[in-house]
Amino acid sequence: MTTISKENKITNKDLRQIMWRSLPMEFGWNYERQMHLAFAYMMAPLMKKLYHKNQKEYTESLERQMEFFNCTPQLVPFIGGVVASMEEKNSEDKDFDVSTISAIKTALMGPLSGIGDSLFLGTLRVLAVGVAASLSMKGSILGPILFLLIYNIPAYLVRYFGVKAGYSMGTSYLDKIQKSGLMDKFKEAAGILGVMVIGAMTQNMVVVKVVAKFGTGKTATSLQSVLDSILPGVLSLLVLYIFYVLNKKKINVLWQLLGATIIGVLLTVWGVLGV
Amino acid sequence: MSNLGTALLIGLVGFIGPLDFAIGSNMLNRPIILGPLVGLVLGNLTQGIIIGASLELVFMGAISVGAYLPPDVIVGGVLGTAFAITLGKGVGAAIAIAMPIAMLSLAIGNLTSVIFPAIAHIGDRYAKEGKPGGITASMWGIGLIECTRRGILCFLGYYAGSAGMKALLNVIPQNIIDGLQVAANMLPAIGFAILLEMIINKTILPYFFLGFLLSAYLKVPVLGVALFGLIIVIVKFHSDKKQTVLTTSTSTKEDTNYDDDF
Repeated sequence: MTTISKENKITNKDLRQIMWRSLPMEFGWNYERQMHLAFAYMMAPLMKKLYHKNQKEYTESLERQMEFFNCTPQLVPFIGGVVASMEEKNSEDKDFDVSTISAIKTALMGPLSGIGDSLFLGTLRVLAVGVAASLSMKGSILGPILFLLIYNIPAYLVRYFGVKAGYSMGTSYLDKIQKSGLMDKFKEAAGILGVMVIGAMTQNMVVVKVVAKFGTGKTATSLQSVLDSILPGVLSLLVLYIFYVLNKKKINVLWQLLGATIIGVLLTVWGVLGV
Repeated sequence: MSNLGTALLIGLVGFIGPLDFAIGSNMLNRPIILGPLVGLVLGNLTQGIIIGASLELVFMGAISVGAYLPPDVIVGGVLGTAFAITLGKGVGAAIAIAMPIAMLSLAIGNLTSVIFPAIAHIGDRYAKEGKPGGITASMWGIGLIECTRRGILCFLGYYAGSAGMKALLNVIPQNIIDGLQVAANMLPAIGFAILLEMIINKTILPYFFLGFLLSAYLKVPVLGVALFGLIIVIVKFHSDKKQTVLTTSTSTKEDTNYDDDF
């Protein structure tokens, strides 16, 4: 455990600010990068503080916060704390590789969503409804009140302690890694975890379903079942690859979005794809 | 109160429901909370509490987990409660009305959400200029459009009645609604592609496919994939260590430590 010393640039006040700014995490949600705007909103003041001396570093740091993000809202302050520690390191150390920040952020958000969703939405919420519903059914106003308390008291505790835990864990490990000269290995490890999680999320979250069949009448075989028997989600992989190539070619993301929407609608109207 | 005035207040409940996303996702937008508010508007708090709780149980599974977007519980719950109280038909009617309306609202939401990524890109432009205020504004822009859409649906829905809602559903062809959903389901790939470009290099590329295949064939959840990844990382760097003799005992210990947490 590292105590936050005076020479550290990030103070408890900064961490509390991250906690409060994590509140609108599900506001501004969109299909493309999901919670990225709220994540950037959460981190923006700290970026100003860490990089205010260098406009280029500052704008780059803001753009970094705008990458794809999605996680159970209550666990986001923890990730915010970890990212804060890495950004702090990056602002002090010119050799720090910023791609590590993206890798760690990605490696954390997937698994923490799994834990957070089952903890908060699967367990705590169900518990709160269970306790509150019987009171509500009798028409008692205590029902809704109890529902909110049971759900939100643990939720806010996790937010409050999460940001501090994330930050102190981040700094203590980063220090150790740096002292032992393992930064390159750390970068590779972070990269491996990051791309594995992206691979799994691509399979899970990018959904492409073919409804077209070949053959007629009773002998018709659905193309999707054939694809699934080869590699489930192979089309998600294809879609990701297309976007990857388009990004490499620096095609404006807005065109990509527009193109994807038009193609998606056309292929559905023609009966190739479906929901 | 006139019908118009009541409809406006119902619309207001539909507007403030999703505002909960701006103040911490505190579950204020669930039927168990919005039901009593609707009851308050219609002068029957007790019925609102009871119907809200029933709808909460019905919509228990309708919650966004991962990429799955559930039927719109906010609009469905508000209008279901409102019609059930005004028609005096109780819980059964509320459920019958709430379900189709929730589906309709999800469909309309898919229609309006097409423009959200474009608004988000205005935020990108401000990030490039070092103006975080623009990021905040984009966030609020998207969020408030969502609140307004739901508020208007609740207002119109209550004002036009359930027959009017059905007519609205028939205006938009189903395959267009489906098509937008199909397109929306592909869009996270853009975000992933950008992330991949940041992180990936030739040495770690196979691990991307490992993650994908674990999920595809073995149905391992994302958390499981990350834990497998953790083991790979630990094993990989420990065997690396044995080959390079120079390591001291302390750094081995530290090595294990950071592997545990990241």
